Amino acid sequence: MNIPKNLPIALVFAPLAISAQERFATRSGEITFLSETPIENIAGDNRKATSVFDATTGAIEFAVLVKAFEFEKALMQEHFNENYMESNTFTKATFKGKVSGVGEDEMKKEGIYTVSVQGDLTIHGVTKPVTIPGTFTVDAAGALKAASDFMIKPEDYGIKIPGVVRKNIAEEIKVSVKLDYAKM
Amino acid sequence: MNKRTMLLVVLLLAALGGGYVWKEFTRSASKADDLPVKETISAQDLMTAFTTDESAATARFVGITDQVVQVTGTIRAIDPAGKELTNIVLGTDDDLAAVLCEFAPEDVPADWRSGATVTVKGICTGMLMDVVLVRCTALE
Repeated sequence: MNIPKNLPIALVFAPLAISAQERFATRSGEITFLSETPIENIAGDNRKATSVFDATTGAIEFAVLVKAFEFEKALMQEHFNENYMESNTFTKATFKGKVSGVGEDEMKKEGIYTVSVQGDLTIHGVTKPVTIPGTFTVDAAGALKAASDFMIKPEDYGIKIPGVVRKNIAEEIKVSVKLDYAKM
Repeated sequence: MNKRTMLLVVLLLAALGGGYVWKEFTRSASKADDLPVKETISAQDLMTAFTTDESAATARFVGITDQVVQVTGTIRAIDPAGKELTNIVLGTDDDLAAVLCEFAPEDVPADWRSGATVTVKGICTGMLMDVVLVRCTALE
């Protein structure tokens, strides 16, 4: 049997090469949320989300530092961190799941693909299974973007809203995710 | 004190109180320059603190209220993130991890380049892949 001398090296690097072609990551993803009530709208914006997506398996993860959410008003930010999210204790919000509705081969072609993402969303130390709708966009250069809008209920994650401000905060909060991936 | 004087005093106090409440209600989040420096450290040591004991580092550098950390390091990259933000990436010994400093673009000194050693003041928010500082200002 004729074995090339450099085969062991090839075997070592082959998985890396495959992985490099099919895994995507970002460390500047944008996650925003919006609470809309007749009294006031409260919006928070975080542009430091990290995410990794494996196009081969469909596995997707993202994480965000709770304290990195920015608000229009300092009071909103302070209440968000100290009273509701307790960000000194629950420092991160995370999602770990799997994308379905689009194949690995499609991800290599230009287009907009509607997907469903199932997984576990952890906020305020509470983990809940969720199914999130989303889109993956592949442009002509092969760049991959992901976007999703979904609703969450603060009470599902053990976030207590005092009665005195109950009418200021929506029962359901809209969360928007925008991820511009780069190949790993 | 007659009734007229008392009324004036009450109105004055109400105006002062209302002004304070309005100022507090509309106050925007502090930049790093507006707060005292809690810790002074190198980018490498900050990363080491988080990778060694994330919980202890979070208590020390993030805290409950906003804490300013003054960090010195070498610029690995300057990455604009849209029109509103610029990330100054301070390198560490790990090529895959850094101290990420979020600036308003106008607050980044014009002469900053990759490879330069700089000092940044920022509000530490914790660590994901990188240690993240927000609302940063440059220490010239």
